[in-house]
Amino acid sequence: MIFQFSLIIFAIFAIIRTYKQYRLQRVSASWLTSWLLLWLAVILVAISPQSTDILAKYVGVERGADLLVYSAVVILYYGLYRMMVKQEKLQQELTSLVRKLAIMEAKKIEAKKDR
Amino acid sequence: MKIVAVIPAYNEEQRIRNSAEDAGRFVDTVVVVDDCSKDKTGEVALTAGAHVLRHEINRGQGAALQTGTDYAVQNLEADIIVHFDADGQMQGADIPKMIEPILNSEVDIVLGSRFLGAESNMPLSRRLTLWLALLFTRLVSGIKISDTHNGFRALSKYSAQNIKISLDRMAHASEILDLIKLKNLKFVERPVMIKYTADTLAKGQSFMSGFIVLKDFIKSKFID
Repeated sequence: MIFQFSLIIFAIFAIIRTYKQYRLQRVSASWLTSWLLLWLAVILVAISPQSTDILAKYVGVERGADLLVYSAVVILYYGLYRMMVKQEKLQQELTSLVRKLAIMEAKKIEAKKDR
Repeated sequence: MKIVAVIPAYNEEQRIRNSAEDAGRFVDTVVVVDDCSKDKTGEVALTAGAHVLRHEINRGQGAALQTGTDYAVQNLEADIIVHFDADGQMQGADIPKMIEPILNSEVDIVLGSRFLGAESNMPLSRRLTLWLALLFTRLVSGIKISDTHNGFRALSKYSAQNIKISLDRMAHASEILDLIKLKNLKFVERPVMIKYTADTLAKGQSFMSGFIVLKDFIKSKFID
């Protein structure tokens, strides 16, 4: 009961925050709509956990709770992959910057030697 | 033909002078890339007559090689670039036979091999690691060579412009082989002598570091 109640409070908080961001024109209408739909779905699942069973049966999973856990694992792994890609890109950019600096400094040293 | 040796170095103040001078006897210019050493590698290399480039942040051997190669091609107008190690395991006397096939316009890149006749005192554990790497390379890159992780290479200007190392750490050796295949570069192997000592073995690739190379190489296949 406490868990369901906390989930609903959190979802309402998320909706209010997003709406405020929308009012300040920091997020688009489509972003507000999709975010609203997601958190309304969370509220629905919190009020009636059995509602996920229908979807679970449809995709071939026994219970709705299991479906949620499986989906969370997949989404988290995808997030991890995205972060890894981002980190790798940052590493490559850092190498490129370090390389440019090294070549620039070497050119200066060689120019001094020639003088 | 301008020949430039590129030597990536990290904490090699004890050995860099010998390596730079040894390579310097057989090339026109030596470029040492000091990969943010904590000791005086850069200063020693400079007094040995090398052009010294310093990475302000340690980026790994692959990154250092690419920095040196870029500098050699763009700023020194090198026609042939020789990748050489800082730890004294490689012999400068092998450079002439490494560059010969490029001078004769036979190939784009020459790869050194420890398994083509030249004697070496390689320990069994290192032999086993390299054999596994060889098997993996044949399966993944489809390139048939006798030594996959030998850092001794000679590149024509054309191949240096076509091979851009993006794997900063040790997996760059596998990446180079991949690029040779991908860019259809003509290559040949030449026997080279690698002398192992206790301290260079401690610094080199172990069986465990083979797994790190494998992890980096596989990761690169999923990230563009």
